[in-house]
Amino acid sequence: MDDLKNILEALIFISVEPLTMDKIKEVLDGTPEEEILQALLRLGTEMEDAPRPIRLVQTGGGWVFMTKPAYDLHVRKLLQIERRKRLSSAALEALSAVAYHQPVTQTDIMNIRGVDSTHALHTLLENKLIKISGRKDAPGRPLLYRTTEKFLTYFGLNSLEELPRETELKKILEEGNA
Amino acid sequence: MVDPGYPNEEGPLEKPAPEDEPAVEGAGDGYQIKLDIFEGPLDLLLFLIKKKKIGIEDIPLAVITREYLDYLHGRDRINLDREAEFLLMAALLIYIKSQILLPREQPVEPDIDPRKERPDRTEDYERVKVVSAVLRDKEEEQSTIWRRTALNVPLPEEDLDLIEVSLFDLAESFFAMMKRKQAVPQRILKTKEISVADKIREIVGALREHGFLDFLEYLDAQETLEEALVAFFCLLELIKARRVVAVQEQLFHTIKVWLRKEPAGEDA
Repeated sequence: MDDLKNILEALIFISVEPLTMDKIKEVLDGTPEEEILQALLRLGTEMEDAPRPIRLVQTGGGWVFMTKPAYDLHVRKLLQIERRKRLSSAALEALSAVAYHQPVTQTDIMNIRGVDSTHALHTLLENKLIKISGRKDAPGRPLLYRTTEKFLTYFGLNSLEELPRETELKKILEEGNA
Repeated sequence: MVDPGYPNEEGPLEKPAPEDEPAVEGAGDGYQIKLDIFEGPLDLLLFLIKKKKIGIEDIPLAVITREYLDYLHGRDRINLDREAEFLLMAALLIYIKSQILLPREQPVEPDIDPRKERPDRTEDYERVKVVSAVLRDKEEEQSTIWRRTALNVPLPEEDLDLIEVSLFDLAESFFAMMKRKQAVPQRILKTKEISVADKIREIVGALREHGFLDFLEYLDAQETLEEALVAFFCLLELIKARRVVAVQEQLFHTIKVWLRKEPAGEDA
């Protein structure tokens, strides 16, 4: 029974990218998805409960092992990273606009934010958080932007569905109102 | 709870962070207005007025302005983005109030309510601000946990079938790409100044993070021809200084640029 759990642990261990359900099913020919999910759940809680520095995380559409926050300092020292860079507020706003309105043109984003967003978009492209997904069938054929897979992993999301929905946003806005 | 108004404004990614700037700018520390009927950031006030929860007639703009100026004078450092934002909102408030106070010869058309007007900020923007704050929280959360991709991929050992490429190979692929790019009409009118030093820092930073860069892909991602040129020269400079190495895994494969394990210790 827990063979399956161990196999999954091995598979995730050697995967650099989040291991997707499709990949797992490819390896475990014929094992029902339900069973795999159960095993993943067991693996996850087991790792979480044991005093281990690693936990199982579902992100970017797959499963991956990640260090717990307590080891941030040591990991950074090993990788010689001073401090993780953070997006500027401008870039973050542009990114939010892309995430909710994609595919979207630079002009759309400018209209939403009310300020020129060229530089912010450039930063996002460079960081591969957004990508060009084509051109709009409109005068000037402007480029269209979309968020990438990396966008999901960067924020620890599994899909765009996990972003706050319209109703939740309204609620938050109204709370700010109270 | 998420504060819809003020995502933190720390360490903009684009600019090299000022050295050791102490994190005095704590969370959501924009200028706070203190009035009898309202305390909080200006954008919240604007929002409430727009929603008619607060009457613009009750807001003494002169007081807000005076106190804000005092606040500015008392500071030795100013965040231009934030102050510009404040000015914009203050101007909108003044506009709204002036529209309400001024006598009119003709009655205001009922469906044009200046309170609703916010020329360049839409409802969408309010949402974007909320989402930004949510994403900022998530970013914060993610920034302390690591997975294996973060590992700095070391330059593969020499025994691999690597071909260190010559200057001519680099130049050839670069100019081929430039030709391709020239065919695409450029719509960028304003160029910004890019210094070689900044670009080098950017490239080394990217290499530290990702292990290697795809030579063409990286240059292709540059915004302008000028910037691509600068990036190209920087790469040549880095290769010359033996801080990076440009290799092809196989003939005709893409050229990858790797950081050398030990920077050759020359002048950085």
